[in-house]
Amino acid sequence: MKRTLSALALAMGLAMAPMMSQATTAADIKSFTLDNGMKIMVLEDASIPNANMYLFWKVGSRNEAPGLTGISHFFEHMMFNGSKKYGPKMFDRTMEAAGGANNAYTTENLTVYTDWFPASGLETIFDLEADRIADLDINADMVESERGVVTSERSTGLENSNIRALMEELKGVAFRAHPYSWPVIGHESDIAAWTLDDLVQYHKTYYAPNNAVVVIAGDVKLAEVKSLANKYFAPIPAQAPPREVKTVEPLQKGERRTFIHKPSASTPNVMMAYHVPATSHEDYYALELLAGILSAGNSSRLYQSMVDSQLALEADTYFPMSFDPNLFYLYAVGAPGVKADALEQELIAQTNRIAAEGVTEQELEKIKNIKLMDFYRTMETINGKANTLGTYELFFGSFDKLFNAPEAYNKVSTADIQRVAQTYLKRANRSVAVLSAEEEMDK
Amino acid sequence: MMQYKPLLIVAALALAGCAATQDVKRTQEPAAAAFQLPSYEKVTLDNGLTVFLMQQKEVPLITVNAVVRAGAVNDTSAGISALTAEGLMLGSAGKSKRDIENQVDFLGASLSAEAGKEGSYISAKFMAKDLDTMLPLFADVLLRPDFDATEFDKLKQREVGGLIQAKESPRAVVGNYFGKLVYGEHPYGNASGGNSESVAALTLPQIRAFYTGFYQPGNTSISVVGDFDVADMKAQLKRTFGEWRSDAAPQQQSLKQGLPVLEKSRVLLVDKPDAMETTFLIGGMGISEDNPDAVGLTVVNTILGGRFTSWLNDELRVNAGLTYGARSGFASYRDSGLFQISTFTKTDTTEAAIDLALKTYARLWEQGIDQATLDSAKAYVKGQFPPKFETSGQLAGLLSDMYLYGFDNSYINDFERKVDSLTLEETQRLINTYFPKDKLQFVLIGNAAKVAPIAVKYGEVTQVNIKDVGFGG
Repeated sequence: MKRTLSALALAMGLAMAPMMSQATTAADIKSFTLDNGMKIMVLEDASIPNANMYLFWKVGSRNEAPGLTGISHFFEHMMFNGSKKYGPKMFDRTMEAAGGANNAYTTENLTVYTDWFPASGLETIFDLEADRIADLDINADMVESERGVVTSERSTGLENSNIRALMEELKGVAFRAHPYSWPVIGHESDIAAWTLDDLVQYHKTYYAPNNAVVVIAGDVKLAEVKSLANKYFAPIPAQAPPREVKTVEPLQKGERRTFIHKPSASTPNVMMAYHVPATSHEDYYALELLAGILSAGNSSRLYQSMVDSQLALEADTYFPMSFDPNLFYLYAVGAPGVKADALEQELIAQTNRIAAEGVTEQELEKIKNIKLMDFYRTMETINGKANTLGTYELFFGSFDKLFNAPEAYNKVSTADIQRVAQTYLKRANRSVAVLSAEEEMDK
Repeated sequence: MMQYKPLLIVAALALAGCAATQDVKRTQEPAAAAFQLPSYEKVTLDNGLTVFLMQQKEVPLITVNAVVRAGAVNDTSAGISALTAEGLMLGSAGKSKRDIENQVDFLGASLSAEAGKEGSYISAKFMAKDLDTMLPLFADVLLRPDFDATEFDKLKQREVGGLIQAKESPRAVVGNYFGKLVYGEHPYGNASGGNSESVAALTLPQIRAFYTGFYQPGNTSISVVGDFDVADMKAQLKRTFGEWRSDAAPQQQSLKQGLPVLEKSRVLLVDKPDAMETTFLIGGMGISEDNPDAVGLTVVNTILGGRFTSWLNDELRVNAGLTYGARSGFASYRDSGLFQISTFTKTDTTEAAIDLALKTYARLWEQGIDQATLDSAKAYVKGQFPPKFETSGQLAGLLSDMYLYGFDNSYINDFERKVDSLTLEETQRLINTYFPKDKLQFVLIGNAAKVAPIAVKYGEVTQVNIKDVGFGG
């Protein structure tokens, strides 16, 4: 296979040269593991007088079962509702009084807590996090109030985003066995149904220090972080590892379809998804570059063939990182007067064309340059650094892979792109979801 | 898919004049630290063009921003400023739209143009090694647009489709309805994108005239932030932009004239028959960008509706479980501004949520602020400040705002001192002076069949259908 030295490699070479000495490198990341199994990574960066703490918990909708769908996300909310030392409301109040703010997100694979604070607030943040990890107090009244909040979150997402509505339906047909089948926010009836005991058990199982990776970046010192981690996190006992997710989605043997009738939709929206391997698979990088060739920038194939040609107002791809084999999504929002079928056929034509004819060297080099630019953009902020370091640690097994990513991308050839298109973006492996004001009619 | 905890209507509620910069002089005592704007150079070229240069070397990237004093407030036809800005990207100096896009994408760079309420923005971000390609391209787009007729027609069609589609998301358009309700025919009521009928009717000669009238060096600043040598960059900017010539001075009307006086409470009820929830804004007039009390108001608003533990979020979300998020904020313009409370709730709790929002808002006057809450808000505002100005793009945006709104370094460098000096007594003066207490204006987007009987409680009701043309769509 031909390997070319692309602009990407040249630029990364420059990144190692003295003139770029301020850029973060792998050697700047320090890590240690507490006796209870919690791994902590530290990046000293004094560019602003702030720091952050990102806690990655290995639990998401993937760890749920029917009847308990959405519990990971619901639990994310409950982590803010009171513990032994800091009672109800006191987590946020204490953090904000120390100049800090926080948020959290739940995905199919992970629940991630983000704390952003002036560097002076570091010990307060450790104290707050340790309290809710070790001694969360799950209160019945709080659970009831929070059900209302999550129900509102679910409905406001569907009210304001056709894409969200499409994805929920599409996952439901693309998976029939694996937990990726249901939306991260869960089914409405499940949100209404879980019990206090479900939540207590969930906390004990998944919020054990051995199930977490913590990243701290900013104006901190490694010694200070180590000392605080030993004081606050080390005393929290490890637990037995959670049950493994063993379900393997059966091979899809033919195209699957679903339809959403939405009378107020101004034009049809189409989303399709193909089963692809987990992020740890060797084809990840080729698929990621393929997604970029299809949709990154106005010179991309989908923009040119759909938006520039006035078929769609938007056309994009979505390829999430994932522990288990998951989906590669394409979607388009129709231009006025365009039928759903025309959108669908063009999305299919574009993927088939790459499978049949491949991509050009120029396109491949372009997308590698875009990836390098993405890397630098991520490295511009302490939050970008923390989030990305943790993400690589979990999905690739080591944060080192972040710094090896340019090399991994550089190894991908045009033949690799064509091969993954042929292997995965084929009809039998496809599920299609259409949202439209016009009902699909019997033929 | 992310499921954020407090996902709020942020876009509609940009806080007034919040700005800070990277602290390069942090001492051992955080309390004594003050955020200072990183050093930069400001140069005015002979042709009147204002240039800002700020070096930032953390990553090998450069951001170049231009801001032209021309926005929706200058619209002679609704949407013309937006279409002119976007029209810059349709080809320039003989290079087609596709040529430009291919070149930009190949370098992994970005280049875009858009217009807001009072400014038109052209922005590029690229690797430092590509400066000699990207800077001339940026100049071509800004100075020598071709406004190709075929591409212009295509852009118009896409814009019209986008404006119609935006109305499928109440959150995307509620701010436009509110601006129009408060400002009426005053230029501050103009939605930045125009509406589907006005945009469809725009012509190339109109766009060219708008461009000629406003895109002039004396009406523009260029900010360059990132990894470059300042002396070299200055010379290059002079070579690239020094020959740009001004025609007649742009016609900038005073926007202080004809501002509305809100004489009664009014409700704009926007019917979306298949809505599951009601999305609403409540508010009135706010403050202009140059208001000396803006920093103090940011602190007071933090307590009312600017953070997770704010009164509004605490009551509506945490205590009542009525919504996923509730907040408030000031949106400031050069000569005026808005204040808004925003939230959403399922259709059958609309009345409960509005009443609770109003009751919570009234605490500003009935109860006031206590010292512990004020101290917490001050710490919060200061602590969340530096990350707003961490990237070259954020810093270039700040420099553009300094030009557009006419503030200087003291606006940034005095921020922390102003926060620290705010007293309880002063908060009461700010509340009584600036927060609209009565004659409130309401926009409710939801199922009118169910919400109309409630709407009359709050003021004189006007009802429109969300699909009706206008109000930013």
